[in-house]
Amino acid sequence: MTTRILTVEDDERIRMSVRLALEDEGYEVAEAESGEDALLAFGQAPADVVLIDIMLPGMDGFEVCRSIRKVSDVPIVMVTARADTHDVVAGLEAGADDYLTKPHAPKELSARIRALLRRVRTSDSGAPQLVFGELEIIPDEGVVRVGAEEVHLTKTEFRLLVELASNVGRVFSRELLLERVWGYGYFGDGRLVDVHIRRLRTKIEPDPANPRYVVTVRGLGYKLAA
Amino acid sequence: MSRWERLGLRARITLLFALGGLLLATTIGLLTLTLTRRSLLVERDAAALASFAENGQRFQRQVGDDPAAEGVAAILESLTTTSGALPLVRFGEEWVGLNLLVFSEETVPNTLLQLISQGSAGRTRITLNGEPAIVSGVQLPGRDAAYFEAVLIGEVDETLNSLGLILLVVGTVTTLVAAALGLWASRRALTPLADIRAAAESLAAGDLKTRLDPPADADLASLSASFNGMAQSLEDRIDRDARFASEVSHELRSPLMTFSASAEVLNNDRHQMSQRSQTALALLTDDIARFTQLVENLLEISRYDVGTAALQAEPVFFAEFVRHAISYSSRPDISLSVSEEGESLVIVADKRRLAQVIANLIDNADKYGGGNIEVEISSESDVAFLAVQDRGPGVPAAERRVIFDRFSRGSSGGRRGHDTGTGLGLSLVSEHVHLHTGEVWVEDRLDGMPGARMVVALPIRIDPEDDQ
Repeated sequence: MTTRILTVEDDERIRMSVRLALEDEGYEVAEAESGEDALLAFGQAPADVVLIDIMLPGMDGFEVCRSIRKVSDVPIVMVTARADTHDVVAGLEAGADDYLTKPHAPKELSARIRALLRRVRTSDSGAPQLVFGELEIIPDEGVVRVGAEEVHLTKTEFRLLVELASNVGRVFSRELLLERVWGYGYFGDGRLVDVHIRRLRTKIEPDPANPRYVVTVRGLGYKLAA
Repeated sequence: MSRWERLGLRARITLLFALGGLLLATTIGLLTLTLTRRSLLVERDAAALASFAENGQRFQRQVGDDPAAEGVAAILESLTTTSGALPLVRFGEEWVGLNLLVFSEETVPNTLLQLISQGSAGRTRITLNGEPAIVSGVQLPGRDAAYFEAVLIGEVDETLNSLGLILLVVGTVTTLVAAALGLWASRRALTPLADIRAAAESLAAGDLKTRLDPPADADLASLSASFNGMAQSLEDRIDRDARFASEVSHELRSPLMTFSASAEVLNNDRHQMSQRSQTALALLTDDIARFTQLVENLLEISRYDVGTAALQAEPVFFAEFVRHAISYSSRPDISLSVSEEGESLVIVADKRRLAQVIANLIDNADKYGGGNIEVEISSESDVAFLAVQDRGPGVPAAERRVIFDRFSRGSSGGRRGHDTGTGLGLSLVSEHVHLHTGEVWVEDRLDGMPGARMVVALPIRIDPEDDQ
């Protein structure tokens, strides 16, 4: 089955060239030139990965991202103009799994896509079931429960949680989590980890401001408390 | 510019005040002296006249028909004279006086003698014994005799002299006080100018937000307003230029995205192309990469110009970080030596920017340093040092600042043909390091061999803020 990518980009030239390059890599590419178009296209035929340019006329990329997140946990890559603005954090908070800055080499894009898909499709579970107080993780089924209630996590959030749970009490540095979860090297953006941890906490912590499970170790990283 | 204007405003004001003080003191002094002298003399004159009139009448009553010299002398002694008044009497050819050494026949001027010989009284000024004096004389009625009295007025001059001395001292003091007042006034008047100077210097140093506080003095309000207006338009203009550079770089990103994706599509089909097309494509691909880097660097640097460069600081294990940065750089093979305390060094840094600093320094050493690069990490109290040294020709002392300027590539222009850099590498290094409140400089190699040594000094902060 070919992987289907939906690219949301208002600049026709970029859209065309990116489609050509991605098709060379063996992906099937669907295009949308506006946020409204993208939601329509996604409703008709869901994609395996969505690529969204933040700067869109009309409905902006953040809004598209939030709307898709409401109905799907499909991996989303945001394309931003600049890496050092608030756009990155806002995009991640809107539900994006990763981001790329413009211009990027299509090779870089397909590397990102591969990393996202790999982690969706593989699950390196150890134990069949992990339980920490109220929190219950079943890696093979991709299920997380708090109390009796099932919590809906995106694939990336799930992978992050399973990674932390694979070695309870151990401190994971941002660099290590970036490598294990996102497939980045040492120079990945630590904000990816921070925002995903924040999102994870709002879903599984009874009080996200005072986390009980996913704990920050000041200056070093994060750990899952038993 | 006249000599007067060359003196400077403050000196001129001081001088004017001093001159004014001098003029005032001199005028008052001279006036005082003249008036005092006149009134003293008039008084003295009146006293002399009164004494003369009384003594003359007294003498006339007391002197008998027999004017024996002794008798006359006795009468003269009995006369009450004002202090310093000397009587003198002529009887026919004979002269009798109390102090003939000072006041005698010879000293009486002829004009006076002639005057009184006509029967009237007279008075005139003479000099007695070197002192000024007033001589009054009168013919005694009915006989060939005359009464004279000399009053020394030298003490008036003495009084006037000491008064003059006092006035001189007072005048000098007045002049000095006026000069001091002038100096103070000029300083005070120029204080707003000092503020303006400070503001202008601050503007020149790059603080474009510098403005003058509105002055309390209405006279200076317009100056301050026009200064602030100038500063504002300067800031606006620089801001506009910086924004323009930023927007241009930004606009270049979209076509670059198309370039890069299209070039990749072409590269995928490279094997179907002729040799010539492949060469052209390779050139195109290389320069797209270089152009992309240039735009990135321009954007990065324009962030500093627009003032939107913000530090994303987090604690970093320095040695580990540098090791990784080297492995990702254009020369992953180069050696790193870390001092003992450097191994455990933790600094607070913006990882993206710090990685760029290291990569750019290595690129620079690789390009101009003739290979053989060494990287060192050390520390000293609260400063972490990163040194990158090469075995190239080094950097001449005159260029050690300039090389951090934008698009500066040292004097070796001949090598530009092989240059693939963007000319912004080292200026970005400098901007990044300064954003970390650090310093960067270039020096000679410590071992005396030819080559350049780039040193980055970064502060070690104790409290690493957790940026989550």
